[in-house]
Amino acid sequence: MLVSLNWLREFVPYEGDIQVLGDKLTMLGLELEGIDDPFENIKDLVIGHVVECDPHPEADKLSVCTVDVGDEMVSIVCGAPNIAKGQKVPVAKVGTIMPDGMKIKKAKLRGVQSLGMICSERELGLSEDHEGIWVLDDSFQPGAKLVDVLNLERVVFDFDITPNRADCLSILGFARETALAFDLPLTMPELNLVESGGNAADDIRIVIDDADLCPLYNARIIRDVETRKVPDWMRFKLLAQGQRSISNIVDCTNYLMFELGQPLHSFDLDLIEGATIRVAPATDGMKFTTLDDIERTLTANDLLIWDGKKPVALAGVMGGANSEMHSGSRNVLLESAVFRPGSVRKTARRLSLPSDASYRFERGVDQVMSRFCMDRAAQLMAETSGGTVVSGVASAEPLPWKNRTHGYRHDRCMRLLGLDLEPDFAKKVFTLEGCGVDDTDPTNWLVSSPSHRLDLEREVDLYEEVGRVYGLDRIPTVLPRVAKSLDGAVAAETEYGFLKRIKTWGAGAGLNEAINYSFVGDEDLDRLNLPAEGRVFIANPLSEEQNVMRTDIAPGLLKTLKHNLAQGNNHVRVFEVAKKFVTDSESDTATKEQNCLGILLYGPRHDSDWPWGSEDVDYLDVKGLVEHLLSDTLKLSEPEFVLTRDHAYLEPCVAVKIDGDVVGIVGKVKADIANFYHAKKDAWLVDMDLAIVRDMLAAHTIKFEELPKFPPSRRDVTVIGPVTVQAQDILRAIEGTGGKILESVELVAEFVPEGQDEERNLSFRLTYRSPTKTLKDTQVDKEHKKVLAALEKALPVRF
Amino acid sequence: MNKDLKSFLEGLDSLAHDCESRKGQACSLEELDELRIEFLGRKGKLAQSMGQLGRLDNTDKPAAGKKANEVKQLITELLDSWQVEINAAKTDMALSTFDPSMPGRKPWVGTLHPVTLVMDEICDVLTGLGFEYASGPEVENDWHNFEALNMPPEHPARDMQDTLYVSDKIVLRTHTSGMQIRSMLKQEPPVAVICPGKVYRRDSDLTHTPMFHQIEGLLVDRNVSMADLRGTLTAFVRQIFGAKTEVRFRPSFFPFTEPSAEVDISCVLCGGKGEVAGSTCRVCKGTGWVEILGCGMVDPNVFTAVGYDPEVYSGFAFGLGVERVAMLKYGIGDLRMFFENDVRFLEQFS
Ligand SMILES: [Zn+2]
Repeated sequence: MLVSLNWLREFVPYEGDIQVLGDKLTMLGLELEGIDDPFENIKDLVIGHVVECDPHPEADKLSVCTVDVGDEMVSIVCGAPNIAKGQKVPVAKVGTIMPDGMKIKKAKLRGVQSLGMICSERELGLSEDHEGIWVLDDSFQPGAKLVDVLNLERVVFDFDITPNRADCLSILGFARETALAFDLPLTMPELNLVESGGNAADDIRIVIDDADLCPLYNARIIRDVETRKVPDWMRFKLLAQGQRSISNIVDCTNYLMFELGQPLHSFDLDLIEGATIRVAPATDGMKFTTLDDIERTLTANDLLIWDGKKPVALAGVMGGANSEMHSGSRNVLLESAVFRPGSVRKTARRLSLPSDASYRFERGVDQVMSRFCMDRAAQLMAETSGGTVVSGVASAEPLPWKNRTHGYRHDRCMRLLGLDLEPDFAKKVFTLEGCGVDDTDPTNWLVSSPSHRLDLEREVDLYEEVGRVYGLDRIPTVLPRVAKSLDGAVAAETEYGFLKRIKTWGAGAGLNEAINYSFVGDEDLDRLNLPAEGRVFIANPLSEEQNVMRTDIAPGLLKTLKHNLAQGNNHVRVFEVAKKFVTDSESDTATKEQNCLGILLYGPRHDSDWPWGSEDVDYLDVKGLVEHLLSDTLKLSEPEFVLTRDHAYLEPCVAVKIDGDVVGIVGKVKADIANFYHAKKDAWLVDMDLAIVRDMLAAHTIKFEELPKFPPSRRDVTVIGPVTVQAQDILRAIEGTGGKILESVELVAEFVPEGQDEERNLSFRLTYRSPTKTLKDTQVDKEHKKVLAALEKALPVRF
Repeated sequence: MNKDLKSFLEGLDSLAHDCESRKGQACSLEELDELRIEFLGRKGKLAQSMGQLGRLDNTDKPAAGKKANEVKQLITELLDSWQVEINAAKTDMALSTFDPSMPGRKPWVGTLHPVTLVMDEICDVLTGLGFEYASGPEVENDWHNFEALNMPPEHPARDMQDTLYVSDKIVLRTHTSGMQIRSMLKQEPPVAVICPGKVYRRDSDLTHTPMFHQIEGLLVDRNVSMADLRGTLTAFVRQIFGAKTEVRFRPSFFPFTEPSAEVDISCVLCGGKGEVAGSTCRVCKGTGWVEILGCGMVDPNVFTAVGYDPEVYSGFAFGLGVERVAMLKYGIGDLRMFFENDVRFLEQFS
């Protein structure tokens, strides 16, 4: 909301510093965004007096002028047809920068020196008028600044208005707050409406179908208006508010909207048929052409203004093309109404037709003030158009404004705010804000809120006023005591705590945490051959690249990879803890959200060739991470790694199982997919289901095991067997055949003889130990032999 | 002196001289061992000399024996001292070839995302005050995200947040405030929860990303006041930004709190002066203040929506943008960096 300082001062005599005013209003909840000078770009223009004006000796259309610019006489060549001796004109002297950025320089036009420029209104950015140079009032002194003699507004505040403060969408609203902030008197503009002849109520009948949608509709008639130049004071005030002048009639309605906050509309009375204005909804599918000449399709939720035969305006949103004022219009029907905020909002949003008017109706206008606004607009219209205001008002007010009264308990207010103020303070605040206070019952006052404060709907809203005016910033600071129940004190690890543990592990394992958007493009999922079913689509996405919630962690990580490769980062070791989303008809949000851990490894295993060597990461790296997390960190049962065929985007793909349940997958991104993300090397991925892992974790408790008292005996064996026999098979078989004293078995070496591709040698170390005694070698040998014999029987291997 | 004795003694002396003159031959411990055997071994030169002892007169034997011991002692000391020298030279050689400047074998350094770091830091302060974690859905229904928070359909406050819709009734949560509702529905007061998490808005430009992170806080009990709210927020702001940080509570509007406030902190770049080295501060745009969160006293309509009696209970709620705090705290200028995951960016937060 733009607020012109001088306009504000017409209501309230604030003479202080402008920054102080801005700060004070900010602390009352009207946040100052900035202070601008709307006429900054013409501040150097001066008044010139054309002392001589002669035809250019070499060019018919040019004149050579001698112009008095106060401190000197300058020669200026001017091409405007309307230039004449004796005129007062705006002059841009040499060195002046014009609104379009051009700098005025000394020039020679067909041999005659020109030291400046005499300007049109368009050249100054003040209007579209470029018929010729702008001829100013004869009383202006040469050399004076244009912005000074025209009394142009130099200070315009820009405030951010929260949706509750509809009352502050006008100069008046800010004047009220300024008066409140600085304890200044408020002066309303005086009404000097001259009515003559007839009775508007006889000319137009107002009919309102639904009082709820339109509690008040007033109309006045102004006859015999002429299209005239809008007075400078009015058009420049509007311009400072960011509103260009349109016509003398429309400018009056805009003026009142900015000044008092009531949006008004003027119809061409001669285009209104049937002497009736009716407020009633549209019908579904109905067409209506608004005054921007766009045909709109309406619904039964859109409220229309009709005359006796046809719709003439979209209530509160925009007038119709069939009844708008035009240059030949003679008679005006001026509307000042109140519409239901929600209804206006719905229509304006559905039709994407936000306007200054709908913005105010959506937030609520002052029903009591509405009549005054109309009268003042009618007065201005008559004054600026030479028209006459017909006596009386055509009016319907099926739902008159009712004062709203709320209880106010001062002690409760103080408790909520954490303050201890005298009741008189609250009384003063309410009174200054225009509320009525009845304190017959000292513990529960009755406070009636004024018609312009639609936000004061409840007792708690009154508390806010007390706090706001006293200053929220002056409330003491106290650290609260947070009461806890005994049950709460022994709560299990929270989801946040668990996820944080996973993240801490990831960072500890040397991975960088990444965060990707939760939405991806439909195409990203298709590319990974992910199922089309179950996708949660966004109905109004910002782009097709962000139109669906991810059903998988991979697309985000692959995007991260692509971005890094493009930046020349060839070592990528990232993890992400985030949710996957799939549709779920059982859920109250229609969506199932599942936390998962994704890991992506790409490029060299280490960040320096020396001393590590330059090998790239492989399956054992990702697998190692998974084992480190599940077995060593979370202490879950030993995971099993099972080759899985036909995965959507991984090959090989290995399922990670714990006690038979799949908790995640590990694998290499298929080459063609990796290629799309510009990955020339293998990209290894992990995707763990953290919900399942967390459930498993719940059952786990740490239990100390006594350290062994007797020494172990170790035996190594090299198993020769087909490459199709997995290491895990052999380990299982050994574990399965081992007797009581076989404590553990681990793989210690792999050797594939040169030229051999069907067989390999795997060396295992078996550890034997008894909990009760030191084992004798013979005993261990005997047991070891048994294990090997059983292994040979179980698998096609030899030693 | 007996002639035999004399030649015996001379023999021993020349043995000692012989050994001394062999120093150049003992460059390694192996060579030294050979010398030791040659002179002191069982069949060494000294032993051979001693073999002559029996031929001496008995009266000469004590003197000869004494001399023999002296020579043995001398040779032993000689050889020992050479051993020390050899060892020293070896150590010296070994150290002079040890290069301490070779690059070390570093393990990978992992990092947490700056959003996670800031979130943890803030949450640690709040859990320290007794707040507990709550988490909930990111795809949320209209009722939890809007209606129960006193934002009925058609309410202009819905314009304050540009919403991404899944359907008419399902949205991507626009704030973590919906968790207030879920938390209160789950339990009776007192409630003290924080909910950190992702939120979504239909907004993407230099200062907005369509996804970002918020932390929601809610305290409901009997007699919770705005002073408690101010205390809680001041405590955590000072913890994050330093004890000298100024905090400003500015009246504002949120549909689910009444009264509502926005909290500004004194600018971290210019310290509240509004300018840096003579030009307008880019962080606070010259105002000296930076907005970091919104808060207020829970609106009675919200209590009614979850079945709490607003006459009995009061509470406060606040919500803050994590990226914004991270940008201020770490001096990150470009919001988009948070979600590009450039490892050179990520690696800085170890
Ligand atoms: Zn600053």
